[in-house]
Amino acid sequence: MKRQTRRLDRQPGEVIDRGSPLEFGWNGRSYPAYAGDTIASALAACGERVFSRSFKYHRRRGLLTASYTDPGCIVQVGDEPNVRGAHRLVTPGMDVRSQDTWPSLAFDVKAANELVGRFLPAGFYYKTFIRPRPLWPTYERVLRRFSHGGVVSPDPLSPELSSYDKRQVHPDVLVAGGGPAGMTAAVAAARAGARVMLVEEEHSLGGHLRWGDKADLAALHDLRSLLAASGVEVLTNSVVFGRYDHNHVAIVQRGLPHVYERLVKARAKTLVVSPGLIERPYVFAGNDVPGVMLSTAVRRLINLYAVKPGDRAVVLTANPQGDAAVVDLERAGVEVAHVVDARGGDDLVRVLGRGGVKGVELVGGHRIECDLVVTAVGWTAPLTLLTMAGTVAAYDSRAARYFPGTATLPDDVLPAGGVVGDGTLDELVAHADAVGREAARRAGSMSRREPAAEIPALPVDAHPELFHGPTHGIVDFSEDVSSRDLLTAVEEGYSSAELAKRYTTATMGPTQGKLESVNVVAIIAEATGRTISQTGTTTWRPPYAPVTLGALAGRHREPVRYSPMHPWHERHGAAPLVAGAWIRPDHYGDPAGEVLAVRERVGIIDVTPIGKLDLRGPDVPKLLNLLYVNRWSKLEVGRVRYGVMCAEDGVVLDDGVTGRLGDQHYLMSTTSSGAASVWEWVESWLQTEHPGWQVHVTPVTTSYASINVAGPRSRELLGRVVAEIDLTPQAFPYMHVRTGRVAGVDGCVLWRIGFTGELSFELHVPASYGLHVWETLLDSGNDLGVRAFGIEAQRILRLEKGHLIVGQDTDGLTQAFSAGLDGLIRLDKDDFVGRSELVWQAEAAAESRLVGLHPNDASVVPEEGSQLIEAGVICGRVTSSRWSPTLHRSICLAQVATEFAEPGTLVTVRLPDGRSVPATVTEHLASVDPEGARLRG
Amino acid sequence: MVIVGGGVHGLATAYYLARNHGITNVAVLEKSYIGSGGSGRNTAILRSNYLTPDGVRFYDRSLKLYERLAAELNYNVMFSRRGHLTLAHNDSSLRTMRWRAEVNKASGVDSEVIGPADIKKLVPFMDTSERARYPILGALYHPPGGIIRHDAVVWGYARAADAMGVHVHQDTELTGIDVEQGRVTGVRTSRGSIATRVVVNCTAGWSTLVANLAGVRLPVQTFPLQAAVTEPVRPFLDTVVVSGTLHVYVSQTDRGELVFGASVDPFASYSTRGTLEFVEGLAGHVLQLMPSLSTLRLLRQWAGLCDMTPDFAPIMGHTEVDGFLVDVGWGTYGFKAGPVAGETMAECVATGRTPELISAFGLRRFADGSLVGEKGAAAVGH
Ligand SMILES: Cc1cc2nc3c(=O)[nH]c(=O)nc-3n(C[C@H](O)[C@H](O)[C@H](O)COP(=O)(O)OP(=O)(O)OC[C@H]3O[C@@H](n4cnc5c(N)ncnc54)[C@H](O)[C@@H]3O)c2cc1C
Repeated sequence: MKRQTRRLDRQPGEVIDRGSPLEFGWNGRSYPAYAGDTIASALAACGERVFSRSFKYHRRRGLLTASYTDPGCIVQVGDEPNVRGAHRLVTPGMDVRSQDTWPSLAFDVKAANELVGRFLPAGFYYKTFIRPRPLWPTYERVLRRFSHGGVVSPDPLSPELSSYDKRQVHPDVLVAGGGPAGMTAAVAAARAGARVMLVEEEHSLGGHLRWGDKADLAALHDLRSLLAASGVEVLTNSVVFGRYDHNHVAIVQRGLPHVYERLVKARAKTLVVSPGLIERPYVFAGNDVPGVMLSTAVRRLINLYAVKPGDRAVVLTANPQGDAAVVDLERAGVEVAHVVDARGGDDLVRVLGRGGVKGVELVGGHRIECDLVVTAVGWTAPLTLLTMAGTVAAYDSRAARYFPGTATLPDDVLPAGGVVGDGTLDELVAHADAVGREAARRAGSMSRREPAAEIPALPVDAHPELFHGPTHGIVDFSEDVSSRDLLTAVEEGYSSAELAKRYTTATMGPTQGKLESVNVVAIIAEATGRTISQTGTTTWRPPYAPVTLGALAGRHREPVRYSPMHPWHERHGAAPLVAGAWIRPDHYGDPAGEVLAVRERVGIIDVTPIGKLDLRGPDVPKLLNLLYVNRWSKLEVGRVRYGVMCAEDGVVLDDGVTGRLGDQHYLMSTTSSGAASVWEWVESWLQTEHPGWQVHVTPVTTSYASINVAGPRSRELLGRVVAEIDLTPQAFPYMHVRTGRVAGVDGCVLWRIGFTGELSFELHVPASYGLHVWETLLDSGNDLGVRAFGIEAQRILRLEKGHLIVGQDTDGLTQAFSAGLDGLIRLDKDDFVGRSELVWQAEAAAESRLVGLHPNDASVVPEEGSQLIEAGVICGRVTSSRWSPTLHRSICLAQVATEFAEPGTLVTVRLPDGRSVPATVTEHLASVDPEGARLRG
Repeated sequence: MVIVGGGVHGLATAYYLARNHGITNVAVLEKSYIGSGGSGRNTAILRSNYLTPDGVRFYDRSLKLYERLAAELNYNVMFSRRGHLTLAHNDSSLRTMRWRAEVNKASGVDSEVIGPADIKKLVPFMDTSERARYPILGALYHPPGGIIRHDAVVWGYARAADAMGVHVHQDTELTGIDVEQGRVTGVRTSRGSIATRVVVNCTAGWSTLVANLAGVRLPVQTFPLQAAVTEPVRPFLDTVVVSGTLHVYVSQTDRGELVFGASVDPFASYSTRGTLEFVEGLAGHVLQLMPSLSTLRLLRQWAGLCDMTPDFAPIMGHTEVDGFLVDVGWGTYGFKAGPVAGETMAECVATGRTPELISAFGLRRFADGSLVGEKGAAAVGH
């Protein structure tokens, strides 16, 4: 096993638990670590310096930031790709591997790319593999093999990786970022009476204080105690990744027991954004060689993880944090060979060494041997959450960083801390305290009369503008984009920041621009002779941090709808049919037998999913006249009518029957699939076009269980279970409605209609009695030969009868006339939806018609969707087809061009397998009982 | 002449005007940078398996132009014909797939309905089991469909047009159109005026605003359409996968990122901000298709504007204002049409006649009731 050769003695602020040693695997070898170590810190403690290979050139990469955003330490953990190794804590037995290295991290064949590096400048792919044309697909296949990233597997994931969760919270104040500013603001808001949630990306609170000096650590200790006493809910290892409209704030919480990641959705009254600052890398030759690190990276390694980052260092510093790194390094026993003070105009020219730092070259050619190069050249304010809230970032050249334009922020978002300024810890605390109180006040946690808190502005320190040195280097570490690439892009005319970014792919990788976007803009500005302000920023797009699909999806639950009769169906072997949200019985094993039962005796079918809208009010007839193409003003109480709805473009939208139950009371039915959309349709016409109409709409689809009783003996069967309703043909004729008691259940609606073409009654019974009524019907009709039938039998029955199904025999193109609904459409009505289109159509004559079709060979059932082809031209298609058990032959409905729609016309059907078969247009849509005698019996 | 809009449509029109008709006295006006609209935000799916024979013919021509575009522009647009799968999760979509396959075959376009076992072979990550909430019953497989590098198409056209003498003005917003006695006489922009007798409106999501400047009303509504990408992982998905039932489509780029798209937002708006609801729904649907991708991380989300017409077909050609032409209404599916639209619009402008291929797409169809019907094939499939 490896040894922790670079582990330092105990450090005052260390986060590792030396009492809990553990072991984990790195590329198949066992490594020691302590609880609290990240993957990167544990490996670094054992002297490892190379963790990955770069995207394009497969150069060796080590630690750069030693934080979540570190582009050099993205690794595979078990089945999990792209794990941030400088953030993820090691666990016992963890299986960590480097990504994209072949055959090994030390010897990577693809690093050959680096040798031809000069042939891979910006836009390389756009300029090559063009001729001869057939070559690109070949190259593409090769290049795809070179693509970057971890591996996913098609096999089911382990439970730890596949459990996700969501939580909704409603804090008064949400604080994003748990450094000193965020902690202070959270405490202040809580003291002012607000319910506060504080979210921190790292595993512990404190931000930069954690790797600070004694005074910093003492201050942190105090802040932690205050916070513990404040009642603030703290989420660590969690990140606010988005601020959406109305302060809907999205947080991803990690590291929970049993849940891999949780999406926390907060509707925050006020949001405090205090993410601190991100240290910016410096662009110069060799800046990606393992051993080149930011000052915050070495300070983290030494102070948090007690890891000695090198033996001999050269430090480039332009600010007090860089100076502090020098102190830390020396304390940790690293020899600081040279300090390059950028404030005095000194600079680094290049890093020497390829696989690891061997030295640096200074201005003037002087070389210094070292194994560690540290840079501290400035800061980037992560503004994603603020730009999502509408702020426009403005560049301040004196401070060499962007600031949020606070004037453009909504009232419910308050920035705090490093994103708005610098200052001493005391100044920072005073400022953040005021922000916290003001956030609470704006959230309404304090009395409205309370005056607005005066938020002291933070001073802004001057900082030299340092983006790149005298040589070219890497700008985007995760994409392997160099400053030379950016210049090439500008030279070739991609001179706006947005174009150059897209052309080079800078900022498009896993670090999302956090480290590189300011350098990109600065380099483009310089190349185009503009200022940074004129060049603008590239857009910060959400999410602020990458989020797993699992967390976003949650426990992906797709609700299923079952009718109250479902238990019976299951017990009786129903084959399930997924019909939108519903699971319905397709058949009970013998659809043909079910058809015959209905034709010869009586059957019952569960039609609960049929959409049902309860309509009340004096203006219902106006509504019906507006939405249906037929006439509705004279529907008497006790009658039902079939109606068809069209959209404005004359395309058939839905159909169903509507019955008038009382003077101002109607029940509308829709197709099952249209239940939700027709409700929306009705509401949108009422609310947007006719808000004055007195119509009250209640969707009652699931309030009723619906059962269709069909067949010559249906009246007899029903007679045994209804009371007080006269079922005789004279008293209850076709297309009438009655209400009353069925099987002892009050409040049932019965209408006499017939989709199947047989005498039939449709019952709508209060849902909780659905199963009871269903079973009563079956029990009462044993001697009549009653039988349950499913969707398949119903489809056959309706096809035999020639009844169309909207969406099947019509579609997104079929206008009402082509659907054969001529008789129904009343163009003489005042106005209705789709009327103007239908007027045109009536003049133009429909191009196609719905017809019945019989294949000449009665045994051939053409698949639905088969085309009718005459002289090589499509002239129609089969919309429905089945074997008819009643007629012992195949039957179809088809949309055919008008010139072929005459009964008796012989057409050719091209089957999907390529065969052509002749078929004849029938006289009626119905193949069974076209006169409708059975229906009206 | 002046072309408004520096997306694929405006730039392709400029390019074909110069190349096919020798007209180079052309200014393309772009208020931001080229490709800043839908052309730089789309998910770049190309296919020709439409539903109506007219649609199939039109898009097939575009695919043919795309095929030779790289060689023609001397710019690798990275057209990757990796195959395109449209999944059917219920019998009615399976029926539509069969119908589309048969229409396609009749027009010589390669399309076939395949079953779950073949789908699994093409996409081993797909849950083709019957346990799925919406089991996959089959798919329309369209081998010639694929993806392309959208920016490269935009840049390639711009570069080639520029080389022939066309002027592309970025950061130049059209602010007014001068119309005298029913004909165009000039335009005003944020950077000065141009005298011209011809203005072509290629501004997609902004097209009604531009048309209003000429006093022309378009039956177009602008809706946001969102998309997202994940971090890169090693290649595992070779085809484009579309599911209308689950409102999602997925492809993997050569860089390894998964690109996701869906249907347009439910309400009209000019907002290009992404929403949380969108990524939540999207992730849920993707995982229903490919459950083992839960640990994959979403890296970026964005939105673009889509100019939707009532019949999901574009509006192309002349308007009632002499000299004001439109090439709009490209909705969620216009990237694939860039070349053929540019070619036909250039012909329309240069000859004054409307090419046969686009005669069905005239603005007048909304006044005389001859709508085109591609709703069935364009609604989610793009
Ligand atoms: C998320 C998403 C996914 C998509 N996926 C696909 C897909 O997979 N396949 C497909 O084929 N299609 C897809 N599309 C649709 C496709 O992107 C568009 O139809 C197509 O890009 C339109 O191109 P265009 O050139 O007409 O418009 P755009 O590219 O939008 O260009 C219009 C330009 O006009 C400019 N402009 C506007 N007003 C003015 C003014 N007053 N003055 C000057 N300039 C102005 C704008 O800045 C813009 O650059 C998708 C769209 C989106 C948003």
